[in-house]
Amino acid sequence: MDSRDLSATSAATASRDGSPSEEDAILSVTAGLAKEAALLFQSRRYSECIDVLNQVMQKKPSDPKVLHNITVAEYFRDGCSDPKKLLEVLHTVKRKSEELARASVEQGDVGNTTNSVTSGSKGSTTIPHQFSTASSTSNAYSDEFDTSLATLNIAVVLFNLHDFAKALSVLEPLYQNIEPIDEATALHICLLLLDVALASHDAARAAEVIQYLEKASGGNCAGGQGDNGSNTHQSSNTPVKSSASCNSASLNVTSPDNAATGSSENPLSRTLSDEALDYETLLSTLDIGGQNLSRAPTVLSTNDLSRSSADRPAPAVDLKLKLHLYKVRLLLLTRNLKATKREVKLAMNIARGKDSSTALLLKSQLEYARGNHPKAIKLLNTSISRTESGMSSIFNNNLGCIFHQLKKCNMSAKLFSKALALSSSCLQSEKPLKLSTFSQDKSVLIVYNCGLQYLICGKPVLAAQCFKKASSVFYNQPLLWLRISECCLLALEKGLLDSISAPNDEVRVHVVGKGKWRQLVMDRDSSMQSNDIVEDKGLLSGNAPLKLSISFARRCLLNALHLLNGTKSKSSKPGVSSALEEDDSNSTLTFKNPNHKTLPSMEGKGSSASAQVGSNGDMKDPKGAYSLNVTLQNSVSSYEDICRREKCMTKQAVLANLAYVELFLGNPLKALSAAKSLLSLPECSRIYMFLGHVYAAEALCLLNRPKEAAEHLLAYLSDKNDVELPYSDVDSSKWKLEKAGDNDESNGPAVGGNMTAEDGHDIVFLKPEEGQGTLYVNLAAVSAIQGDLEQAFLFVTKALAVIPNNPKAILAAVYVDLLLGKPQDALVKLKQCNHVRYLSSSLPLNGCS
Amino acid sequence: MIGTQDSKELLSLINADQRPLDEIVSDFISIFKPSLQFKACCSLALLLEDKKMLKLTQRLIAFAILHHSYSSQQPSANPFISFIVNVASDDSADKVERAFILQLLGSTGTSNGRELLKQSAADYAKGFDPSVHVFPQREQLQKQYCDIVQPEPYSCLFRNKAVRKALPDPDVPRGCDANSAELDYVPPGGKPRVGSGDRDEAAVELMQNLSLEGMNPQWIRPVPPKLPIQDGELIWLNHDNSHELLWDYGMCADTSRGAAIRDLIAKALKGPLAPAQQEQILVELASDPKLVYHCGLTPRKLPELVEHNPLIAVQVLIKLMNSAEIADYLTVLVNMDMSLHSMEVVNRLTTEVDLPTEFVHMYITNCISSCENIKDRSDLSELCFLGVAIVPFNPCKVPLV
Repeated sequence: MDSRDLSATSAATASRDGSPSEEDAILSVTAGLAKEAALLFQSRRYSECIDVLNQVMQKKPSDPKVLHNITVAEYFRDGCSDPKKLLEVLHTVKRKSEELARASVEQGDVGNTTNSVTSGSKGSTTIPHQFSTASSTSNAYSDEFDTSLATLNIAVVLFNLHDFAKALSVLEPLYQNIEPIDEATALHICLLLLDVALASHDAARAAEVIQYLEKASGGNCAGGQGDNGSNTHQSSNTPVKSSASCNSASLNVTSPDNAATGSSENPLSRTLSDEALDYETLLSTLDIGGQNLSRAPTVLSTNDLSRSSADRPAPAVDLKLKLHLYKVRLLLLTRNLKATKREVKLAMNIARGKDSSTALLLKSQLEYARGNHPKAIKLLNTSISRTESGMSSIFNNNLGCIFHQLKKCNMSAKLFSKALALSSSCLQSEKPLKLSTFSQDKSVLIVYNCGLQYLICGKPVLAAQCFKKASSVFYNQPLLWLRISECCLLALEKGLLDSISAPNDEVRVHVVGKGKWRQLVMDRDSSMQSNDIVEDKGLLSGNAPLKLSISFARRCLLNALHLLNGTKSKSSKPGVSSALEEDDSNSTLTFKNPNHKTLPSMEGKGSSASAQVGSNGDMKDPKGAYSLNVTLQNSVSSYEDICRREKCMTKQAVLANLAYVELFLGNPLKALSAAKSLLSLPECSRIYMFLGHVYAAEALCLLNRPKEAAEHLLAYLSDKNDVELPYSDVDSSKWKLEKAGDNDESNGPAVGGNMTAEDGHDIVFLKPEEGQGTLYVNLAAVSAIQGDLEQAFLFVTKALAVIPNNPKAILAAVYVDLLLGKPQDALVKLKQCNHVRYLSSSLPLNGCS
Repeated sequence: MIGTQDSKELLSLINADQRPLDEIVSDFISIFKPSLQFKACCSLALLLEDKKMLKLTQRLIAFAILHHSYSSQQPSANPFISFIVNVASDDSADKVERAFILQLLGSTGTSNGRELLKQSAADYAKGFDPSVHVFPQREQLQKQYCDIVQPEPYSCLFRNKAVRKALPDPDVPRGCDANSAELDYVPPGGKPRVGSGDRDEAAVELMQNLSLEGMNPQWIRPVPPKLPIQDGELIWLNHDNSHELLWDYGMCADTSRGAAIRDLIAKALKGPLAPAQQEQILVELASDPKLVYHCGLTPRKLPELVEHNPLIAVQVLIKLMNSAEIADYLTVLVNMDMSLHSMEVVNRLTTEVDLPTEFVHMYITNCISSCENIKDRSDLSELCFLGVAIVPFNPCKVPLV
């Protein structure tokens, strides 16, 4: 799998004393060539490397690993114009390996009866190998058919293409069974998984990997930093007590060796047990692998692990810094600002004297999250060199975020579009295309920001186009679909939808005839219209510009709802109760995997911990590890709480929108069921309760069930026909206030105090009085339908008292008067109101009579 | 409802009170395409609803059109039949009008009907003799003409409760009665009086503005609010860690790695190993932590290893404690037949690593139940000794987990 195999091979070849068979000869030749190819690859002589690989290919034409490395080398030589094709090839390699492994298992089963156990003579490579695969029931193929690297590379491509969901699903099985994988690959898997988990906001997964990495790199990392309680000293948690002394001993042997050579052959690195692997070794194995050398100036090398060894002052510190930065990102994600602040400080200390731009950028994000905008801008300025277009794009985007919070809507939108332009320009200018170029192209992410900003600025069509582009990454986010449906509703409100006029905020009356024949004709009532709209075809498919419509909104909302309901069984913890299938005893017992990957609930257990510390000769307070883990744990669980609450809010919005849209489209039954689901949500807020009741009542009226409709509205009726305010001003800003409260509790005081009411997070909705008036008007309608005109008149009068200028209230009053047969009263009401627009239909009637 | 041109055409049709009715009807059918006829009829019906808007002759012509446009079908199939019947049985309506409608209804297909339509509206009104006519009750008429009750289409209460959405707003000088004939009087050569208006003009405009749907009960459907921007919904960008493709160093590698240990483990499954061999396994395992995953052991084979070489089993299990498969191994261990060797393995494991409590509990339970089944006293005492040896380690672990 990596260098140690090579060294093992060479060692085996060298020590072989008997006369090699022909097979052996081929083997040694290919092994030699493979080694040569690897060296050429490391020294970035890709063309020569491919030549050598082609020779190997001739000897072993069906070896998927050769194909794999050719693909990799070609990629580094030619760049990557078509990542999809690259993915395909990698998938082929993986499939072939699996097929071969399967075939070899079958072959092994046959051969097992004849081949005695002793057949594994050193000369023949195949037979013992077959034995091993035949005997292993699960993943443990021998190295020859090992697919972990191909799988990792698939995930790498997916990550660079921003397809985090798929990358996660590819990495997950690797991580579940990471133990047999060699350290270098395992480290890559962990780091990639961390990036993917953070990018897809999977805090629990990220915390798990961080803890695993810390544990794996346990003993030696804490040395340099004595100034805090949160050092990541976790070796106390290793289950093997007795191995400690042995580990430290082997470390003593290897470390200087690694530091000295860093060459491609260091068999001693194998002697490290992974329980006590330190950063140094992790890095040196990496270095041996020669994987991550920065090859082009375009690769972001700031603080990156992937630097050539020459300009890396202290690799262990690099990985340590990296882990700190990951932790900062995780804590930021979980909005534990207090802990973030501490962690950033640590990271800055480690990064001292080096390129600290990543840390600075994270610090800027912290200040942004705390609402300290001037400081955030200042840090942003210092953290980014704006000469690179990729950096400049990040700068503009982040500045856009800050300006959004400063309520500078248009400025923010401008910055986002600038970031977008810069980002896509960098994709065009790069030649040849590298994977990192794709991952640097943040357009899909920035375009979401753009869409959001356009939506806020009241430009639904532009916003929807942006969201459409962002859907390639965010397709599995219910929020995206909700936002698109909001675009549709906003377009409706603004009268931008085809064939549907905007709702009026005034009463429109046509004046017909003159003199004694003059009549007033009320304008047609657009809101009660059931609108039959032609269904459009594919959802977001094709390049045709998005056509907003209400039925499109419905489909988006159904998508969102589906996603919201479907994500329940997502978090299956690794290794939980893996029952042994072939066990035929009747009392099969299974229990939870005690391994590290389940989040430990209790760290630093008494006796074993101190024993470990003692034997390492490095006195550390086990409480340190304990407290950090508790912090991470708490952050993750409080974040999960936040997520659950946000999901609930999103669901309320989705259901309310859905009920509205179904009413609009003339589907009262569906509207009713959406409204009922909304009302049955356990944490439904008062505003959405109100909407749920009003929508349900309307749907029931349309279904000719006025009594039930009345029940929904009468819930708000106190005695004497008075309706109480359905919600208060507080409800509109409640969500934000709650969060601010959280901040105070766990994250220290919010800076500047501008986190509350006016920072754009408020729900913008009818004033409570308007809600009350709405109830009166609708109660009047229900009463009228039920034939209780007197009651209807009463409600209408109250409605007019609360919302005298609302056109609907006026119309309701006119309606009830007409129903009562008092057109004179209706006329008086119309004329008293100054929100009536009289439309003359003056057409000359020449010579018609 | 209908366009300007159509409404003017319609008005001129109903204004022709001197023309025979059948001519007007056939003109109507030829001028208005079938698709438009219903709309035109609706407009007429809406005008007829307002008793003052049309003159008597206009009303008669309108009724004739309403009736005859659908005369080829059963009377009950006429969409306006109930409207027509209602007017015919309305006691407050003009007797001429009622009689005319009754005659229309009774005339379908007969020569009487043709005779009736030969006259002009003005002629009919002039020659009307109220004494000839009897006016039947509404029920009787409904039974007669609306007899085939069609399945009632679903109608929404909102619609049912609609009211006519035109309300008269006479624009007359203060103190004038809009209904007085005085306003209509135009002195010869003089200007029309203020407020006199033009009945036909109003009718045409009404035809354009009125529609079948009246004014419904008013309902406010609040627009749902936008979900506030969530924390972290705007994406803050950070420097990326770069991830590039990796070279597979496993290519053409020697797969004999661990062959020796595989051989040894395979032997260890068959019988006890010599001390030197045991030593070799332990050394090799210690030298490469990953080797344990490639030594050919599976959970299914564990019992054999435990029985023949418990010490090696202990070391292997310790190495495997971090693996994903350890649960399977422990499951096998707890479920295998109770023996001195298996107890020894568990015993050693409890002292070396933290075992899951469920495992220890289950193991002790199994121990006790096996002890109960053992006949041989000497075996029992040794088993009990080992069993007891496991127990003391637990009190301190149990409360912790």
